[in-house]
Amino acid sequence: MPSRYLLRRLAQVLPTVAGLLVLNFCIVHLAPGDPVIALGGEHGDAAYYAFLRARFALDRPLPEQLLTYVTNVLRGDLGTSFVHGRSVAGVIAERLPATILLVATALVLSSLAGLGLGTLAARHGRRPADLALNAAALLGYATPSFWLGQMALLTVAVGTGLFPVQGMTDARHPQTGLAHVLDVAHHLALPALVLAVNELALTTRLVRTGLLEALGADYVRTARAKGLPEGRVIRHALRNVMLPVLTVIGSRAGMFLSGAVLVEVVFAWPGLGRLLLSSLLARDYPVLLGMFLLISFAVVLANLITDLAYARLDPRIRYQ
Amino acid sequence: MSRGRLMARTVFVLMAVWSLGTAPARAQDAPVRGGTVVAAIVSDPGHLNPAITTSGATHAASELLYNGLLGRDERGEPVPELAESWQIEQGGTVYRFRLRDGVRWHDGTPFTAADVKFTFEEVLVKYHARTRASMGAVLAGIEAPDDRTVVFRFKQPYAPLLYQLDATEAPIVARHVYQGTDPQTNPANGNPIGTGPFKLVSYTKGTEIRLVRNPTYFKAGLPHLDGLVMRIIPDLAVQVLALENGEVDFLWELPGPQQARLKGDPRFRAARTGYHPGGSNCIMTMSFNLDRPILKDLRVRQAVAHALDRQAFLTQILFGDGKVAAAPISSEIPWAHAAGLALPRPDRAEAEKLLDGAGWKKEGEGPRTARGVPGVADGTRLSIEFLHFPTFTKYGELVRQQLGAVGIGVVLKPLEPAVFAPTVFKDRNFDSNVISYCNGPDPEIGVRRMYHSSQIGPAPFTNAAAYRNARVDALFDEASRTVERDKRTRLYRQIQELVVQELPYFWLVETVSTRAWAARCAGFKAWTGHFAEEAFCRR
Repeated sequence: MPSRYLLRRLAQVLPTVAGLLVLNFCIVHLAPGDPVIALGGEHGDAAYYAFLRARFALDRPLPEQLLTYVTNVLRGDLGTSFVHGRSVAGVIAERLPATILLVATALVLSSLAGLGLGTLAARHGRRPADLALNAAALLGYATPSFWLGQMALLTVAVGTGLFPVQGMTDARHPQTGLAHVLDVAHHLALPALVLAVNELALTTRLVRTGLLEALGADYVRTARAKGLPEGRVIRHALRNVMLPVLTVIGSRAGMFLSGAVLVEVVFAWPGLGRLLLSSLLARDYPVLLGMFLLISFAVVLANLITDLAYARLDPRIRYQ
Repeated sequence: MSRGRLMARTVFVLMAVWSLGTAPARAQDAPVRGGTVVAAIVSDPGHLNPAITTSGATHAASELLYNGLLGRDERGEPVPELAESWQIEQGGTVYRFRLRDGVRWHDGTPFTAADVKFTFEEVLVKYHARTRASMGAVLAGIEAPDDRTVVFRFKQPYAPLLYQLDATEAPIVARHVYQGTDPQTNPANGNPIGTGPFKLVSYTKGTEIRLVRNPTYFKAGLPHLDGLVMRIIPDLAVQVLALENGEVDFLWELPGPQQARLKGDPRFRAARTGYHPGGSNCIMTMSFNLDRPILKDLRVRQAVAHALDRQAFLTQILFGDGKVAAAPISSEIPWAHAAGLALPRPDRAEAEKLLDGAGWKKEGEGPRTARGVPGVADGTRLSIEFLHFPTFTKYGELVRQQLGAVGIGVVLKPLEPAVFAPTVFKDRNFDSNVISYCNGPDPEIGVRRMYHSSQIGPAPFTNAAAYRNARVDALFDEASRTVERDKRTRLYRQIQELVVQELPYFWLVETVSTRAWAARCAGFKAWTGHFAEEAFCRR
């Protein structure tokens, strides 16, 4: 792949993110709501709220606030959280690992299982197994994740006692080393599965539809006529199916950073989704803007990576 | 304490703790030393400095690290804490406190009167919203003549002081940690040094706060527990599941619907209290915007009050967890609560009569029509807006249903708190609303702001009705300067009689919190932020 293309795409990332930065700033500040009320509690007097407003420079004209913010971001400073009283970068960084672990696990699970189930469904095209998988996929896609999470808690966690209800670790017996890894995996299982179910349904449907189409194509007939084993034939066909599937998975990767909020709340998972929600309710502008910036970056980067992956998967695609 | 009073107090405590199980609550064994309690909290506190905020999240998570000059007993009365005794001088203008000897900060530094002076002057009256708003303007100065004496001087007699010195209202922080720094961004807010029964081990953001026993705590033999973990679980229903699953031992809040579910389960205990670290003794209150022509008429407000069946709010929304408000001041402040007032009773016929008399006539189906109402064009349909937090949707639905029955149309406007407050208090753009007005430990803190004419906007959760009554203003001012309890009781009673006649608000239900815990544990104090100071668990 020519590096000129890569450079050009990377050069597009910066203006895109910069535009989003300004847009985010305007949306956050123009939305109704007042951070000093969330921060000051309900018993303050007018002087106290004025004091807080001045302290966080919220009494300055909006263009001036925007200029200050952009200048600071260019210097790599995302500001100080109103609520936490610490640097925004630090507040976000603390929560990032938990979300990446949850989202990546769910994404890998749903992609692998979706590929398998979609293939299975396509090979049984329009027979009972396919119809059953199809119905299950639609049900999974239509089920809200918070409801599924609560059901999983009631039936699996409390019902069988095999899984913990909340958190990322055991509060009573903090572990270290390998035991800690196992403890986290134990806590991760249910939320990752619940999060994966939605994605799984989508991937399954995409793989199935694409594969059904591909299996009717000429090159598949040729491959079969040559006497290739069915597994090899499917692999040929899958390679063509992967493009739309990858597009969808890629677009999800960025969204996932914000989209895990419901599952994080239900399972008390200490990730970014909960931080986003609480910052929104408290109108913690610096943290909100920091997270929007992160999400913007993630979406733009995921798109870039998807585009680059196209070229690897499909030799017909050439980038100039 | 006399024997009779001791007995009375024992009975009170036994009644306050009720068993969720059918088995009678067994008398607890003697306290056991050791063990760790896991308590669930709803939100990540962000930081652990209770002196710079009134945030319930921070206070629930951090009060056990600190102490106030005084604590509070189960009836909210002051008891010695960092101060072992106190004197009120010059008719309530001077308060003199004698501090306990030998108290040390978690890092070993001795605690002295200079810490108290510094905390009030440099931290509390600047950053703690309630302390600043109540005490800030009348505090003349604080002196620390020696290491164990603190003297507060006020510009005029100041009545509520003893009720605002606990760790919720005025936690004392260390001068050697905060002096010369910005208290809002000092790193010690995440790594606190207090005098409290527990010390911080670790604070994992979004997950938990781990505390360990303070071995040199000034109350001998306390705490019983080796450790305490505050687990952050944002969903209350999930907290209950975690309690059932044995992952958590203590809940700050057991919601009404879940109480029914756990009833009959001998594994759990529960207790009700009006105390909440974010705001105590709260009454769900309907405010009428007295600037609006429709609601200016007392008869319309009376009609609304008669049309509402407040018992339905208690049973349908709170599942019985609370009580119908019997007076404008919470019954959780017994000395200020006026018993036996005649609040409007549910009476649909009376409501209809009042509306007819006010010029709102029934013409066919639906809301009534204006016929000669001052300030309202004839033919206008009777309809009022009702603003509420999204969490209070059920209140809106009941109000709409019950007022609809007498021909008052209600338009619900759910607004999240950050938008609700400026809409109501700054823009005053509403007809009516529902607010959880928390009275706090003393009426001076949470009640005055609802009625005094100086408290009309723009600060949030002040006088939403825009109620103006010179007599009521004068009574509040006198009550704040009156130290004698009996006299204050009489003044607050006069105030309550006046506002019940004029109905700038209608007081719906008093809400309470229900704490719940595993039956193998005991000694929790539901009425204070120091809930685990005396707790212990059988193994």
